Amino acid sequence: MIEAQGLTKVYGDKTAVGGVNFTVHAGRVTGFLGPNGAGKSTTMRMIMGLDTPTAGTVTVNGEPFARHSAPLREIGALLDAKAVHTGRSAYNHLLAMAATHSIPKKRVHEVIEMTGLGDVARKKVKGFSLGMGQRLGIAAALLGDPQTIILDEPVNGLDPEGVVWVRNLVRFLASEGRTVFLSSHLMSEMAVTADHLIVIGRGRIIADAPIKDIITGKGQSRTRVRTDQPDQLMNVLAGNGVSVEVQDHELLEVKGLDPRQIARAALDCRVMIYELTPLQASLEEAYMELTKDEVEYHSMITTGAPVPAQPGGN
Amino acid sequence: MSTSTTARSRTSRAASPGPGPSFFRVLNSEFIKFRTLLSTLILLACTAVVMVGFGALSAWGTGQFADAAASDPSAAEAMAAQGGDLAVTVPTSGIAFAQLILGSLGVLLMSSEFTTGMARSTFAAVPKRIPAFLAKLVVMMVSAFVLTAVSTYIAGLVSVPILDNYGPNLDLGSSQSVKLLLVNSVYVASVAAIGMALGTMVRNSAGGIMSLVGLFFVAPIAFQLIPGDFFVEARKYLPGNTINPLTAVEHVPDTLEAWQAGLVLGAWVVVPLVLAMILLKMRDV
Repeated sequence: MIEAQGLTKVYGDKTAVGGVNFTVHAGRVTGFLGPNGAGKSTTMRMIMGLDTPTAGTVTVNGEPFARHSAPLREIGALLDAKAVHTGRSAYNHLLAMAATHSIPKKRVHEVIEMTGLGDVARKKVKGFSLGMGQRLGIAAALLGDPQTIILDEPVNGLDPEGVVWVRNLVRFLASEGRTVFLSSHLMSEMAVTADHLIVIGRGRIIADAPIKDIITGKGQSRTRVRTDQPDQLMNVLAGNGVSVEVQDHELLEVKGLDPRQIARAALDCRVMIYELTPLQASLEEAYMELTKDEVEYHSMITTGAPVPAQPGGN
Repeated sequence: MSTSTTARSRTSRAASPGPGPSFFRVLNSEFIKFRTLLSTLILLACTAVVMVGFGALSAWGTGQFADAAASDPSAAEAMAAQGGDLAVTVPTSGIAFAQLILGSLGVLLMSSEFTTGMARSTFAAVPKRIPAFLAKLVVMMVSAFVLTAVSTYIAGLVSVPILDNYGPNLDLGSSQSVKLLLVNSVYVASVAAIGMALGTMVRNSAGGIMSLVGLFFVAPIAFQLIPGDFFVEARKYLPGNTINPLTAVEHVPDTLEAWQAGLVLGAWVVVPLVLAMILLKMRDV
């Protein structure tokens, strides 16, 4: 379990992370999503004790990372695929890491096999592709068989087969009761990998909810309605918190009511409807909706350049 | 995948998770890191080659000089002015280059951690940071000491027959020979430690090596060129100028006493190391 309380990091006059509170629970995959420069990597580095928070605390399994007697056995992290001396072979890199915790050579071979680095383990990391670097980073994270795993953009640079492998791996790790905290800029990937989502924008937590709630959140559930009397139906449906959009000649999109309520309203005023389709927002849409406000709000009050709402590889 | 993760029980989290980063384990890790980089091994080999090569060259030159002194009174006078026994310094004649190479290696060991990003892995495994630094320091200093001592001895073995050819006698077992070997080895290990401190503070390979070169090669010359008593006096306290008083047979006027030189060199090692460790602990990786 990872717990952040009032976690803040200020660089000069720029607040990278502004007093965030969140908890990452065991037994599920928690996704960490946010646009470029939102503070994802900074937060992860603070969890690993590499950056000191300006204020606030973050604990892993109840203790600050540095206080654990065997840190690599508590928490494994892929923060950056380049956290390795490129003149050393993958095997020797892992061997040196393992030596700090008396992790046996057998385990080094295991993680090399698990991550599919068997053929290149004796070669210098210098010649590694981005994908192989990611695999080596994941191997290092798994070395201590930790209860908590942090992966910053693990699928970056992986081929489709690697992406599926990471997805299965993190789901498997979470199913074993481990805490998995994963950042990714690929929202479609998050949608199929994560159980829970923490959305961060401009150093603040915008959303912290199960992924289903974020996708089908209030104001997000939409229903496509086809009727031959659109005007009449619109009058009936109009009301508090309900918005109806005319999409086409006989096609309406209704927000704020579920299909049952729409059907009842249509029945009551004897309007025939011939399509009633619940629409699920994609994670992209939900995310854009969430971060749009955050970005606009900040753009208005700061003189800095507006931050694009696209998710980033940060 | 399943073999590894089911191998250990995940149920009892209250129990100790297993061995952590004790100093001995971190030392082992740093030794693995030290010996698995080809660039490190190349620099070590270069040091040995330079030490032995310069020993042999110096033996040849000293022999010819002694030869000339035997038939030329003015050369004999010049030789006497040098303080008598030239042959004894032959094995350590490559020390100026050894200190440059191993000092640079000290810089690189730390700066490369930061330039390659390896530091994130290192300090994630050893979050207290200082044990990792001290372990690396031990590995670097012991390696520098042993390599300098062994290369000096080999340079001596190579020099003996060359000097024999010309006349001067070199006794590798004499107390002065042993003293030169040990003091120079300690000195090179100290330069390597200063290099590590610089590498930690600067976090940049080129900058660290330039600082080292500036301190050991540029400053002594610059201090000599700048007029004024202050610089003449200050020049004695530069780290690179402590080796001569430390190895002198007798105290040479206008230089530090051996014990003073020892203290000055010690301060040049300890102060930067302490600063480096404070910065390492405080700064973000």
